[in-house]
Amino acid sequence: MPSNPLWRHVFRRLQERVRSGRKEEESSTCRLLKKVPIFQDLSGRELHKIEEMLYGPRNWRAGETIINQGDPGMGMYIVVSGQVRIAQMGDDGFEKQLATLTRGNFFGAQALVDELPRSASAYALQPCRLLVFCRPDLLELLENNTSLALKMVEGLAQMISTDVPELIKKFSVQLHTPERLLKGARRAGNIQ
Amino acid sequence: MNWQVKVAIGLVAGAVVGWFLYEIRGILTPFVFAFVLAYILYPIIDWMERRGLGRVWSTLLVFSIVFAGLGLGAFKVGDKLTGETVDRVFTIANTGDKLLIIQEMAWEDDSREQPFVLREEHRWPLGIAPREELAIHLRFVPKDHAPAANALLIAYSQGKDEYSQRISVHGNSGAVAGSQAVGKSGSVVFSRADVVFGKADPNVLVEIGDSILTETSARASSIEPMLQPYLGSDFRLAELIREHGERLMKTMLGGTTMFIEGVISGLTFAVIVPFVAFFFLKEGRRLTRCLIALVPNAYFELCLNLMHQANKQIGNYIRGQLLAVLVVSVLSISGLSIIGVYYALPLGLLAGLANVIPYLGPLIGIVCSSIVALATGGGLAMVAKVIIMFLIVQLIDNVLIQPTVVAKSVELHPLVVLFVVMVGSQLMGIVGMLIAVPLTGIVKVSSQTIYEGVRQYRLR
Repeated sequence: MPSNPLWRHVFRRLQERVRSGRKEEESSTCRLLKKVPIFQDLSGRELHKIEEMLYGPRNWRAGETIINQGDPGMGMYIVVSGQVRIAQMGDDGFEKQLATLTRGNFFGAQALVDELPRSASAYALQPCRLLVFCRPDLLELLENNTSLALKMVEGLAQMISTDVPELIKKFSVQLHTPERLLKGARRAGNIQ
Repeated sequence: MNWQVKVAIGLVAGAVVGWFLYEIRGILTPFVFAFVLAYILYPIIDWMERRGLGRVWSTLLVFSIVFAGLGLGAFKVGDKLTGETVDRVFTIANTGDKLLIIQEMAWEDDSREQPFVLREEHRWPLGIAPREELAIHLRFVPKDHAPAANALLIAYSQGKDEYSQRISVHGNSGAVAGSQAVGKSGSVVFSRADVVFGKADPNVLVEIGDSILTETSARASSIEPMLQPYLGSDFRLAELIREHGERLMKTMLGGTTMFIEGVISGLTFAVIVPFVAFFFLKEGRRLTRCLIALVPNAYFELCLNLMHQANKQIGNYIRGQLLAVLVVSVLSISGLSIIGVYYALPLGLLAGLANVIPYLGPLIGIVCSSIVALATGGGLAMVAKVIIMFLIVQLIDNVLIQPTVVAKSVELHPLVVLFVVMVGSQLMGIVGMLIAVPLTGIVKVSSQTIYEGVRQYRLR
């Protein structure tokens, strides 16, 4: 601590600011994570650990593609700010909007479980800030911090089990996409 | 901005970065070493962290163990190497006023338990003028550091009187000083003026090679008369061996010595490597996150995927190879020690390291060990033992170790192996030959992963 009173004052104020700023940011990220089903059972310390494993927040410009339907998935995205449009190439060859996500919503959680291609695309409607949690990190957690990982896997299993009928539909869509594309195009009158 | 401008800017930036890296390549070496070290230790630190020890403490603990081990190992190996080649200079002084003539110098018992060579070639008998002294440079190879059971015998005469002096030969310790009166007029003083230890620096390789070469060419000169009737009188086997051996040694060891000397230059290296490796281990995750943060959004998932895949493959490859080197080295050292070949430690280590070179590696071990076995007094029976020993080690390696630790994906075509090993030897001598194949393996694994990854993604 500097001995000069003026500098001591400045130094203390700086320290306070840094401390409070960090705390605020931490708690806001943690609060955000609390909203995501797979993180909701975690304690504050565990959330902090997850926070260290996240990539981002990364910025996307309005209109930018975040994930592409059909690409191999690497992890889930959590919306910090902005709006994200989730859309799926339908069986008629046209893209169908599935949802619009805002702060606290997430997408792509399926990629935490398997390496199947993405079942839908995501686009930034407004400038977006997103956090990313990757499958390799979940696998690492499963190995290194089993109790934490189990809580997450439980949440993940719950989330997926409610989605199973939806999932089956998605896969059948994917398997038939080329034929359906063709059918859609015929219906639209582009191909005889 | 259209894409041509982007590509041009990218190319220029790439060239500038490449040029910069090339310019500072000397400084990069410790960073590369630190990276490799951190890479190897990463799973161990992870394992300890999993057991509840903090990352910093795990790193410190592992570092203490590893560096204490390395230090002790270097000390022991250095000690062993110096123990295996001890140079002694005996000074024989003629304090009398008559000519002293040394007639012979031989082991008292010629079973040659402790083979030695004279570094300078002397013609017997040696004459030492009054009030002069003569230094005799002797190199010998004690099996351990205990005093030799065998004593060196020097017979000399002054005037009409004949004397002999026994000198017991020790390893790294013990004195051989003493004096004996010669006649009435003077005395001869045997003093251990100097002990030139084999020096635990890379030169020891050259020194060992040199002494082996001397021995081999001496042996060849003894069978020369047998060959000359068939091959002509100008066929000099000893000279041929000497000449070609020296050239081979220069090309193989010259570069290595220079490389290692460059690498180990000074304290800087020894301080920087652990320091940098510590931070790689502690902050590795944050570092990769910083790098990933620089990647454009369109390639973010692709890069993440590639990094993860390459990390897994390369990690497995490096750890597998290290394990294989360790096992083969230990087996070879034990085998060579059991059958009683000199320099078992450096030869076993060489065989283990050379094992990373497919096809050629095992041959290097066999050839080097056989030459040493021949040069240090073992007969063809010893060579046969060496070959059988290496065959057993290779069998264990190929049946038990290689299939489990080395992935199929890094199998290289024999021609590729030959080519990269030659390039490596051209650039960095033996060290180059040894790192060429693992390096190619890493490049192959990375490019395979990148190719597979890029094919799966629809690039925007």
